[in-house]
Amino acid sequence: MQPPPPPAPGESPINRDIMSVMDGVSPGYFMLLGACVLSVVAAGATWVYQVYEGLGIGGYTHPIFWGAYIVTFVFWVGIAHAGTLISAILYLFRAKWRNAINRSAEAMTVFAVLTAAQFLGIHVGRMWKSYFILPYPNQRGLWVNFRSPLEWDTFAISTYATISIVFFFIGLIPDLAILRDRSRGLKKLVYTALALGWQGTSTQWKSHTRSVLHLSGLATPLVLSVHSVVSWDFAMSIVPGWHATIFAPYFVAGAIFSGFAMVLTVMIPVRRIYGLEEYINDYHFENMTRFLLLTSWIVGYAYGIEYFIAWYSGVEAEQTAFWLRAFGPYWFSTWTMIICNVVIPQIFWFKKFRTHVPTIFVVSTFINIGMWFERYVIIITSLTREYDPAVWGTYTPTWAELTIFAGSFGFFGMLFLMFMKFFPVIAITEMKELAIHDRAHAAGGGH
Amino acid sequence: MPELVRRDFLKLVGVSAGSAAAAGCSDHVEKLIPYVVQPEEITPGNPVVYASTCTECPVACGLHVKTREGRPIKVEGNPDHPVNQGRLCARAQASIERTYSPDRFKSPMRRNAAGELEPISWDEALSVVSQAIQKAPAKTHVLGGNPGPLASRTIDGFVTAIGGGGRTVYEPFANEALRAATQQVHGVAGEPVFDLDGADLIIDFGSEVLDTGHSPVEHARQWSDARDIEKNPHGGAKLVYIGARLSVTASSSDEWLPAKPGSEGLLALALAKAALDAGASADAAVVAAVAGADISAAAAASDVPVETIQRLGAALAKAKKAVALPPGSAVASRRAVGANAAVLLLNRVVGSASVSVAATPGTARYADVLALVQAMQGGKVGVLLVHDANPVYSLPSASGFDEALASVGLVVSFATANDETSALAGLVLPAHAPMESWGDRTSRAGVRGLIQPTLSPIYDTRAVPDALNEIRRSLGGDAAQNLPSGSFRDTVEASLGADVRASLMRGFVVSEVAAVAGAPEAIAIDVAAPILTGDGDFTLLAYPSPFLGDGTGAALPLLQEIPDPVTSVAWDSWAEISMATAEALDLEMGDVVSVATSAGSLDVAVYPRGGIRDDVIAIPTGQGHTVGYFASKAGQGLPGTARGVNVLDLLPADGVDEAGGRAFLTETAKVSKTGRFRRLTLLQFNDNKRGRQLGEVLTLAALAETADAHAAPAEGAHGEGHGGGHGASHGTGALAHEIHQPYDPADDASNAQYERTFHLAGEASAKESPYRWGMTVDLDKCTGCSACISACYVENNIPRVGEEETRLVRQMAWIRIDRWAGNGEAVMHVGREFSYASNEKLGDSDVRNSPMFCQHCGAAPCEPVCPVIATYHNEEGLNGMIYNRCIGTRYCANNCPYKVRRYNYFDHQIGGRDSAANPAGGKWPAPMELGLNPDVTVRGQGVMEKCTMCVQRIQYARQEAKNDGDAVIADGAVQTACQQTCPSGAITFGNLRDDHSAVSKAADSKRGYHALHVLNTRPAVTYLAKVDRGKVEG
Repeated sequence: MQPPPPPAPGESPINRDIMSVMDGVSPGYFMLLGACVLSVVAAGATWVYQVYEGLGIGGYTHPIFWGAYIVTFVFWVGIAHAGTLISAILYLFRAKWRNAINRSAEAMTVFAVLTAAQFLGIHVGRMWKSYFILPYPNQRGLWVNFRSPLEWDTFAISTYATISIVFFFIGLIPDLAILRDRSRGLKKLVYTALALGWQGTSTQWKSHTRSVLHLSGLATPLVLSVHSVVSWDFAMSIVPGWHATIFAPYFVAGAIFSGFAMVLTVMIPVRRIYGLEEYINDYHFENMTRFLLLTSWIVGYAYGIEYFIAWYSGVEAEQTAFWLRAFGPYWFSTWTMIICNVVIPQIFWFKKFRTHVPTIFVVSTFINIGMWFERYVIIITSLTREYDPAVWGTYTPTWAELTIFAGSFGFFGMLFLMFMKFFPVIAITEMKELAIHDRAHAAGGGH
Repeated sequence: MPELVRRDFLKLVGVSAGSAAAAGCSDHVEKLIPYVVQPEEITPGNPVVYASTCTECPVACGLHVKTREGRPIKVEGNPDHPVNQGRLCARAQASIERTYSPDRFKSPMRRNAAGELEPISWDEALSVVSQAIQKAPAKTHVLGGNPGPLASRTIDGFVTAIGGGGRTVYEPFANEALRAATQQVHGVAGEPVFDLDGADLIIDFGSEVLDTGHSPVEHARQWSDARDIEKNPHGGAKLVYIGARLSVTASSSDEWLPAKPGSEGLLALALAKAALDAGASADAAVVAAVAGADISAAAAASDVPVETIQRLGAALAKAKKAVALPPGSAVASRRAVGANAAVLLLNRVVGSASVSVAATPGTARYADVLALVQAMQGGKVGVLLVHDANPVYSLPSASGFDEALASVGLVVSFATANDETSALAGLVLPAHAPMESWGDRTSRAGVRGLIQPTLSPIYDTRAVPDALNEIRRSLGGDAAQNLPSGSFRDTVEASLGADVRASLMRGFVVSEVAAVAGAPEAIAIDVAAPILTGDGDFTLLAYPSPFLGDGTGAALPLLQEIPDPVTSVAWDSWAEISMATAEALDLEMGDVVSVATSAGSLDVAVYPRGGIRDDVIAIPTGQGHTVGYFASKAGQGLPGTARGVNVLDLLPADGVDEAGGRAFLTETAKVSKTGRFRRLTLLQFNDNKRGRQLGEVLTLAALAETADAHAAPAEGAHGEGHGGGHGASHGTGALAHEIHQPYDPADDASNAQYERTFHLAGEASAKESPYRWGMTVDLDKCTGCSACISACYVENNIPRVGEEETRLVRQMAWIRIDRWAGNGEAVMHVGREFSYASNEKLGDSDVRNSPMFCQHCGAAPCEPVCPVIATYHNEEGLNGMIYNRCIGTRYCANNCPYKVRRYNYFDHQIGGRDSAANPAGGKWPAPMELGLNPDVTVRGQGVMEKCTMCVQRIQYARQEAKNDGDAVIADGAVQTACQQTCPSGAITFGNLRDDHSAVSKAADSKRGYHALHVLNTRPAVTYLAKVDRGKVEG
């Protein structure tokens, strides 16, 4: 391993602190990365086996046609929400506290979307024909069905992936230039190419700020639309437990909730290990946890409203589906969901816990679990108890689905771990901007 | 050096090029080869149909075997046959699989020194038999089932010619007691024929008239006609079922008396007495025979209240045509002759017009088989020739037959396919499959069905009569005297006289039945309670499985795959116990119990249900095979492992009735919990329909009310939804509005659906199509017999997925039958994951069988959600599936409220792969693929499939109409496979846009409703509600 180049004379301590994350590789890091890669390899092998053998190696039974793959897909799409929300919406609202976390959140968005997108291919029965879903011109005059929510999904996810990658990349350019300046060899070449000739001139800054602003404007509706569209995969159907008008806001809130929780789950260890306490501090945690509390209430309200509407509708099939959701064979997933997502986050009413990092870590992990179960509850329990009681069924994921599920975490972790070593986890330029801003405030400048 | 001539040179070049090509690609090369000499009658693409006869059970229904390019692909009922009139049961539909069974012997086999069967040639095999027989001809015995009258004659001729020890006919379910009873009551040795045509009261003493009875297909049709609500507004025939469990027949009965098994005779006599008391008249001999009956004693013995007996007695006395059906094999006790005689006597009290008797040649007698076993044990049998039977499986192990076989010098099996008996035989001389054979069968006196081959033998097999004649020939001497000339085919043809061709084309020969001499002047019958051995708490009911029968059905994967109509279990055995018993013994669905009788014990998973007496444990026959690709678990990679249990092994050797017939109701059983659990392969976990619009029932009163409203001019009542276009009036009664949804062309959702999918508004539109295919299913006629499922599998190349996949409910059936116990209510049941809350109640026969298949909705929820338009609406209203376009998102199946879409989780195609994840993944082991219907695509891994309403048949009819110059397809020209076979005629298919079509008229019924109509899916399938006729009135 080459020793890192010495900091350039006069380099800012922000550069040093943040880029120290990228320096050196500990055995712990390697072990973690190794574990991630292994799980990805295992999942990949399972997937190849599944393609060869058929989806029958999963736990699907009649009539549960969607299983753990779709659950995990929705889970990752949800995770993908925090990044854009933090970068775009909070940017537009000029929420300063976002700066410390926006880079990693954006990275998570990109990685989560990439992870989620794979599940579309994993889930379909004939992935080798999955390009049929794209409206490409062909001699046979075949066209896609624009009435299908899955078609909307295809566009929503691909648009979201494109925008979030572009957004991530544009935000990264000034930092890439810093990296270019302090790296050498092959790395320098790559960073030079990626930095697109960034010099930090005022014209460039002007263009950069404008693009970020415009992209934020573009990305903002996407934050709302992507998960709305994903929710319509369910809401547009007639399955009791799916067919509900509340699904779009419910899913968006849930996505933000889970996204924030994932950001916290990932960033807390990173902060601790790499000593970034100065940059991600109580101020950020308080704001993040307040957001969690808010979204927890939104999803809690949605849970309540679902039951209320099921009762109020007078539709026996809906009522039965919801009753069995809570007290049927899948009661454990429902109660896990409610406890993790609604009960536990209430701890953040107390300032003491909002700033107590270990508590935040534990609670955010619970929220991640709870949000996976939320999708499990919505997707699986609804399918097990539909209109024709003769074909009520049960579903249990098999080893194949669990391996691929674990592999998705491995994939996400692998990308994030590599990201940590190749890109600054906190936006250096934005932190500097903030520091200058703060200094100006301290000096009594004000706006 | 020999000269290289041009011809050789070319050959060499060809060979080298060929090997080079072969070496270049490892893929299996398949060739399409046209006929070099095309057989005269075959046009590729056109089916050739042969008339034949079904050999799956003794009823011998007439068949039309449909062949394509020389291979049978489907059987349908022979519409001219007097017994089945074009309809068939599930077993007959599946019989095609016997021809293509992977178990079939490919050539004669001899057991070698290592104890394994090895192939030998016919000449060798015949000489082995001849030599063995020559040693001691008198010690040669023939044991076998019913091979038909002509073959029987050949076998008898063989036994006589070689001077053999004798011939024993053996059939597991042979109705010996009924024969003896007929002798007692009618003075004739023969089996009576029961005619339900126009009957108004049918009392079934456990014969299972609609599923495993005397002639189920025929009786289902007659029963259905006799109670057709359109023809009989007051309800028509009522069916009373007497038996311990809610069977298929009980489920269709109007009144179920859960009597103690074995009490049928006493009950029949008591009913006869009650009928006489109520004013029925009968011959003096009959009155005298009934006089001694004691109604209250019978009530006590049978657990049926005295009032019920008197009420039924009065009803019998009043009935214009009443029929009582004698007990079936499940309740054949050691006193079965008395019970049968009592029922025949009851028939004579209520008017014997519905029972005709004629002398028929004697068949099997169980006592003879037991005698043969003794002879074998005594070393008196040197050569045992076994044909058309599998005694090693179907005789109770307590009989000692298996061990006795060891004392026989040479056991020769004439089995077509590998079975338990062949597995113990020293020599196998494989017979043709029935579809490769010539022969005949007697349905009943006067109806002789003819069997003609429909494909040339696929293996090196021979007809049994031919093989026997060969043996005679090779024995020479006296044995070879008077050998018929030619083959067995010539024998069959010679028996048909001059009009051979016409007879074969018709498929059967009808002859006059000789009138029976007068009934005996004095009738002496002896009716008593059954004699049960053992000291268990439960009566063991070994009832015949509707599909597997005596075990012969177990070899056919289709019959294994179709779930039992009552319990929905497939590929396995189960023991039915009551909910109370389950509670007392702390058992839940799937808990394994040990069932012990005086003859043996076995472990089986329980199926607790409401519809069975507390003092009974019922286990179906047919499973427990240890040999066979599908019959045992050999196909799952577990050779020698039994599939399920053989309940016959719980029966003692001495289970014999008064006349030497076989008794099945002989044992009491002890049931004890083992603590093990075995997840049953259930396909329906819930019989509570929660009041949803799935299996509707109307009472006669409600129907009459609707009918009155119907008759009134109802123009003003027509809602906005039904515009003026619809001429026929539809009811205004409250009920009518609730459930009746007639087809209205002006408001056909299919049009909009078609246009939305293809953006064709204004262009060639669905509105202009002359067709809107639709179907009606009359729940009042559906018995749940599952013949439709069987026919659909065969017609549409539906894969049989096997036990493990069935356990995951991944069956591919395009049609299933939902079975509901009562209307159900929306109880919120909390219980173990797989717990099953049986809604059945003892004595309550309100069971609704609701066949469920693609409803071809006008506003189909599946269509808009498919991202690639793999499922779409066609201009004739069909919901189509494009397999090639499907990418397997499975959204359509999620969005289908009827859950009728089936997904190929594995590759079930021909050559589908076997693997650890999917054992026996190729569900079509060779040569099963030969039976595939070439008109229907086989579906690959990862695609969705469902009912197409036999679109290939529609296309065929369209072409036929075009050939004939017809503008449209005539009504009735298309019959779907399910409709064609339905024994009770519950299904009607046709064009809803044709006001005069049968389906339009049926769909306009006041009983019509759409399944789950609250979802507004606008199905093309109209269900006609079942009619609750109430109990029998005295």
